Amino acid sequence: MRIGEIIETSSTGFVAESYQLHQPPALGSLVKVKVDDEREVYAVVSYGETGGIEPGRRAVRWSTDEVFDEAIYEEHPELRRTLRTEFTALSVGSLEGRETRQGLPSEPPPMHYSVYACTPAEVVRFTEELYYLRLLLAGEGPVPREQLLVTHLREVYRARGNDGEWLSKAAREIARLLKRDYDRLMTVLLGIEPHSMD
Amino acid sequence: MERRRLGVVTDGTFEAGLTVRLDPGCSTEDLRIGSFVVVEGRSHRFFCTIADMRLQVTDAGLLADPPRDASPFVRRTLEGISSYATVQVKPHLMLDISKGVGEETPVEPVRTIPMHFAELYEASGVDFATVFGEERGAYFAMGTPITMELPICLRLDRFVERSNGVFGQTGTGKSFLARLLLAGIIKSKAAVNLVFDMHNEYAFGAQKEDGGWVKGLRDLFGPQVLVYSLDEAWGARRNVDVTLKVGLNQIELGDVLLLAEELELSPTAVTTAELIYARFGSDWMKRLVALDSGDSEALKGFCDLTGAQSESLKALQRRVKRVAGRDYVREEVAFSAIDEMVAALDKGRHVVLVFGRHDTPLDYMLVANIVARRVRRLYQEKVNRYERTRDEADRPQPLLITLEEAHKFLSPQVSRQTIFGTIARELRKFYVTLMVIDQRPSGIDPEVMSQLGTRVTGKLTDQRDIDSVFTGVGGRSFLRGALESLNTRQEILILGHAVPMPIILRTRQYDEGFYEAIRGRGEKGRDIGEDIADLYGD
Repeated sequence: MRIGEIIETSSTGFVAESYQLHQPPALGSLVKVKVDDEREVYAVVSYGETGGIEPGRRAVRWSTDEVFDEAIYEEHPELRRTLRTEFTALSVGSLEGRETRQGLPSEPPPMHYSVYACTPAEVVRFTEELYYLRLLLAGEGPVPREQLLVTHLREVYRARGNDGEWLSKAAREIARLLKRDYDRLMTVLLGIEPHSMD
Repeated sequence: MERRRLGVVTDGTFEAGLTVRLDPGCSTEDLRIGSFVVVEGRSHRFFCTIADMRLQVTDAGLLADPPRDASPFVRRTLEGISSYATVQVKPHLMLDISKGVGEETPVEPVRTIPMHFAELYEASGVDFATVFGEERGAYFAMGTPITMELPICLRLDRFVERSNGVFGQTGTGKSFLARLLLAGIIKSKAAVNLVFDMHNEYAFGAQKEDGGWVKGLRDLFGPQVLVYSLDEAWGARRNVDVTLKVGLNQIELGDVLLLAEELELSPTAVTTAELIYARFGSDWMKRLVALDSGDSEALKGFCDLTGAQSESLKALQRRVKRVAGRDYVREEVAFSAIDEMVAALDKGRHVVLVFGRHDTPLDYMLVANIVARRVRRLYQEKVNRYERTRDEADRPQPLLITLEEAHKFLSPQVSRQTIFGTIARELRKFYVTLMVIDQRPSGIDPEVMSQLGTRVTGKLTDQRDIDSVFTGVGGRSFLRGALESLNTRQEILILGHAVPMPIILRTRQYDEGFYEAIRGRGEKGRDIGEDIADLYGD
């Protein structure tokens, strides 16, 4: 399902504008770009933002005592054209033919190409290997890395049908990566405890 | 080989041993200090024991704020990754596996260490068999590893090549260990035995703590084992071969000095004894005992002859009369009884000297010292003759003397005065070695301890006793923990000459199964009626 179009792109990932206002893909979810018939680039949503299309122009208050929340958009339909939602995604791997590779893509995904949400089957296949978690941990962005990991692991857990075994495996991989930083590790582990997701 | 992997080598030195990082699935609680484990190097297999264990964390933050209330999920994640354990293992032996391992590949002392990431495994049955050999001939099964039902052997031929010690605090079953060893030695003919049986435990059956009965060496081996008794009345009710008497003529100065503590001899008394001996030589005891100290003339004459003080003399005489008055002591006894004992040993028979009711330390020390001294003197003559004639027929039978309460004979104060100290120190120069049994090895002269080839020990808790067991054994201090960890009744540690490397075992049972194994197939053995007759008379 097409959920956005690339408006900025680089070696480490891309920024896309979502088709629907206020409806970017979930933070931490897995998305993909179809580069050509053979190749797809996989990325993890690492940030989302909604704002005016004119740079520098700040939003003003539209609500009154009677008109607020969704009603504002009924009153002022032009808002749907002057606001846009963007999301950032970190590249974590690709599908070449039938082979899954984990790592940065050789070229940035093409500008203006569509971004798709990954199906559960695609998520399961990509996340069999856990090497890509290192890329997430090393990436940069406004969202703290631990929180990104927490949301990502929860998304994958759900997409894999509440796969507890995978979650344990991923948790132990995170423990290895964060062995020198117990506090950061605990931030992640406490965020992904199974009971907290039920 | 189905072996469980435990971890990988991450550090180590040849001196101190290897550090192994345990795999996440492996808990320290699955392992034991002193256990036998195997490291697979690239071209060598290393046979090691676990010397120490340590808990580690990857970030000290975890120590300050451990996950006390964390969910099982969090704890399971941290376990083995953020928190982990290492064990120290000490290699003892190695096997060259670079060209494939055959029956003939020799197990060698360790000369190198493996590189990083060599894997550590639990020892398998094959590993035990490679190192300790299989039951046959002189390879005598002493027990099984704690975790396996596999007989582990000690080499009796090497055991009797040196003097040895059987140690353990009271209640750890030292007499059972001694019975196992003696039975094995008799069966394999590794040596002939002379057992000084202080508590009448070895010749005929004895009662166990739980009330059952165990067989004695005579029960198992029949007429191969000769029973000598010090106690005529006691012996008359049992099937004893010879009753031994001791003569005043056989008591030397050293015997009395050995008994200084038992007899409460003051230093003056000791000097007095020396003076009398200097004057009268081998007649000294007879003269001293015969003296009528009430007759002041005789007393004065005696003092003049010897240079002794009359009061000291009387005090000495009183104490010496305690010895002279024993049931088995006569004025004059020929040495022929002991000489015949040695002749029997020469023909491959074994001798157990039971003390009957005379089981006080005084009796034990006096008689054992006298008999052993005579035996060793005869052995010295035999060896001298053998060296002259070089005739195989003159070769003496290796003799193992079993001695209990060894610290009384071999303490630093008296070890130079007893024949046992001499025997222990001279290694096997005259074909005689000792098996000392004791619950207080710290009481034994360290110089003697360091001469012991093999040490078979049950649990010890006194630090000094533990220290002393390791006297003269290089680099074994890491086994101290193992010694303390043994359970009281069934577990032993064997180290030294008769085993290729130190090993903890669950002791073999001395029971019907053992009796059958010792008798071998097809031998009828003795029936219960004969046993009862031996014990109780008709």
